[in-house]
Amino acid sequence: MTDPALQMTGVRKVYGSGDQEVVALDCDELTIAEDEIVALVGPSGSGKTTLCSIAGGLLQATEGTVEVGGRDITELSASELTDFRRTAVGFVFQTVNLVPFLTARENLLVVDELGGRRSRNGAKAKERADQLLDELGLTDRAGNLSSELSGGQRQRVAIGRALMNDPALVLFDEPTSALDSKLGDQVVKLIRDEMKSRGTAAIIVTHDDRITHYADRTVHIEDGRITD
Amino acid sequence: MFLAFHEIRRGPVRFSLLALAIGLLLFLVLFQQAIQNGLITSFVGALRNQSAPVVVFSLDGQRTLQGSTVSDDIDAKVREVEGVDAVARAGQGTFTVTIGGGDATDASILGTDDPGLGRPSELSGGRRAEAEGEAVGSEADFEVGDEVSVVASGDGEAVVLTVVGVARDVQLSVEPTLFTDLATYEASVRAVNPQAPVVPVNGLFVRPADGVDPAELADRINEAAPDADAVTREEAARTAPGVAQIRQSFQIIFALYGMVVPLVTGLFFLIVTLQKARSLTLLRAIGARTGVLATALVTQVLAVTFLGVIVGIGLYRLVTSGGELSSLTVRFDPALAIGWGIGFLVLAVVGSLASLRRVLRIDPMDATTGAGT
Repeated sequence: MTDPALQMTGVRKVYGSGDQEVVALDCDELTIAEDEIVALVGPSGSGKTTLCSIAGGLLQATEGTVEVGGRDITELSASELTDFRRTAVGFVFQTVNLVPFLTARENLLVVDELGGRRSRNGAKAKERADQLLDELGLTDRAGNLSSELSGGQRQRVAIGRALMNDPALVLFDEPTSALDSKLGDQVVKLIRDEMKSRGTAAIIVTHDDRITHYADRTVHIEDGRITD
Repeated sequence: MFLAFHEIRRGPVRFSLLALAIGLLLFLVLFQQAIQNGLITSFVGALRNQSAPVVVFSLDGQRTLQGSTVSDDIDAKVREVEGVDAVARAGQGTFTVTIGGGDATDASILGTDDPGLGRPSELSGGRRAEAEGEAVGSEADFEVGDEVSVVASGDGEAVVLTVVGVARDVQLSVEPTLFTDLATYEASVRAVNPQAPVVPVNGLFVRPADGVDPAELADRINEAAPDADAVTREEAARTAPGVAQIRQSFQIIFALYGMVVPLVTGLFFLIVTLQKARSLTLLRAIGARTGVLATALVTQVLAVTFLGVIVGIGLYRLVTSGGELSSLTVRFDPALAIGWGIGFLVLAVVGSLASLRRVLRIDPMDATTGAGT
């Protein structure tokens, strides 16, 4: 049996203590299968970003266990979490996704460069970047800076970058918030196609109910608790 | 490296401007250092580059030949000191001269009664003065074959010196300088002051015996002749009036540059770091180790500063290629250029510490909100 892409058990994230305590996340159980696409829906401040940040190793839970692709990341140190983010998960953030002084191709290659000399794949990484850009229909834009790309193209480059390390899980934070509805629809369809073709799991954080039908499952969250 | 050089490639103008600014600062430092060295050489080159390891002034002479008067008593006591191999009596003064019948100008004439002491150690042209009336001149001011006339006054009899050799860096008190025999010097004094009852000896140039340390011999002389002020050649040059003041003035300027360099590079890279804060946060979020980002920053600092150092040294080489600026000798000094170049690289890294601190404090979690450092 294959490990789930994400397994969260009894995860809580608490800020402050005593009377000042604020529970940002209180998740009894969340399991995402290895090729499952989950839409995470909830109002602002409901804990969506906190959940994704814990799943992606950006934030550590106060309690509970988190496993990504079968690897327990609960007790990892800050530097181990940095390596984990680089090698095991992909991110597409809501606002900033590309480094402006790098071209589309370099934005993908930077993932390989970030580990330092010892962990570089070199030629293999270049091959993978070219392949991803080709699959995302960006071959002719590979040498363009982000300022020379449209909003949709930028999101596609960001998706490519998130897939560069062949992650077990990709986290999308409001990937369509800066796009018009038609382009947003196209991007979410692209995300679905790319994830499904690779058998990669994804969490798509969204406010937009229209895009939930592209997900295999919709998870609602409110006041830090998963409601269904 | 990847991040550092790609960013420089995409922003060549701003990084080039910083390199240029650093280059100009380094050029100013090196050029002023060359001026300082040129000035000091012009002041005391005649002492620094003469052949006697020990120089004796009178105690009240304040370490200037012109202000010093060495009595016969001091002369006798110095000659009796153990370890003294040879002593030359010297006279030095400033005279109005004409060179080849041209306009009158001031020149310093230094005469000694031993051609092997108190004269330039090395000649850059011609030969050493052998006969009375022959002289070796400072290269910047004289050419071999020049006829130098000491302008007489009153009943004084004009004296003509023939320049038979020239030497580099042998000026005294920023004046054209001639090295000749003591008799010619005395004749020059009498040309301008025919009534002078005696021509005093201004100083003594001393050669130690084999195996005797010049500093030790100077101490012995000072002990034996309390009215004498004996110093080594190097100390005579270093402690001559005006030299310390020149050094001090320039050191203040250099210290200011030492503060400006890290400020300029520090502010530049701080601005660049703040401008790309969101990118750095993104990179941290997708798994960049702080060490990788810090290395990229330091690499940029070193690369840009190195480029600036090349520019600065290039300008310094260009300006000093003539060897002279006005009448001041300015020379390209490779050791100085390399030393200051390394100093600039260190100062630039020190200046970038604030940016480095920013980079190290990046919270990758900020990527989820779009915030930066």
